[in-house]
Amino acid sequence: MNFLEFYRSETYHPVTVHWPIVLLTIGSLFYIIGYFKNNYLLPAGKVLIYIGTTGAWISIYTGNLADGIVSRELCDPTILKTHENFAYYTAYIFSMIVVSNLLLHFFKLKKKLNNMIHWLLMIFMVAGIAILVYASHLGGSLVYDQAAGVTVPSSDCREFE
Amino acid sequence: MKKSFFLLAIFASFFFFSCSQSTDVVDTGTYTGTVDEVEPEKTEIYVETEDGKILELYFTDATTLTKDGVDAEFSELEEGQKVEVELERIGKRLDPIAVRILE
Repeated sequence: MNFLEFYRSETYHPVTVHWPIVLLTIGSLFYIIGYFKNNYLLPAGKVLIYIGTTGAWISIYTGNLADGIVSRELCDPTILKTHENFAYYTAYIFSMIVVSNLLLHFFKLKKKLNNMIHWLLMIFMVAGIAILVYASHLGGSLVYDQAAGVTVPSSDCREFE
Repeated sequence: MKKSFFLLAIFASFFFFSCSQSTDVVDTGTYTGTVDEVEPEKTEIYVETEDGKILELYFTDATTLTKDGVDAEFSELEEGQKVEVELERIGKRLDPIAVRILE
């Protein structure tokens, strides 16, 4: 199998989905540490979260492409539906965090209110990461338990000769 | 602060409830219901049965679609139509064998 043959539309999802998983997790970690230490990690975390959130929506798009193909082969498509729901929760939560951060950047609030909003955003980040981890677990389950989008080679591996 | 957390919890619960989509699994058989959603690019429909269950059905190569006893195109399916679906349960997947548009 050559490089181009590998790229069926259901393979776009695993190619894109790992970026937001890493960026949102590390971004949230940087954001929280940077907020308490009041150092460079805070803006770094924000940038990672902005890119990660864009990546999350791209992954939802590629996931929808894969959905139409793999759902017909799964033994339990309800897991795919839950995976999809949790992916949307993650993307909505981090989109809300991005919008709130941009608003905080452009509108100056009183320190107490500003701090309270940052606290709420960090709570949402922790919740968002927990939801992201569960969505990822379900995605892994679809691949490793139900072979979603997986081409199973023949027992004698003749395709690779 | 307590009040803020309480409001946050209510907001989060409402948010999750409003944007989630759940489907049901039923046994092999024939069901009547209403088309809840049509996704032409995936040749997929959601049907709400008379007892309120939501069935997610992906058409296969073997699925037949008819209207008034004659073959119909997938594009004839619309939200709100009454349909009768004959389906086979494989694991927890529901494969539509026949979909009949009733009105």
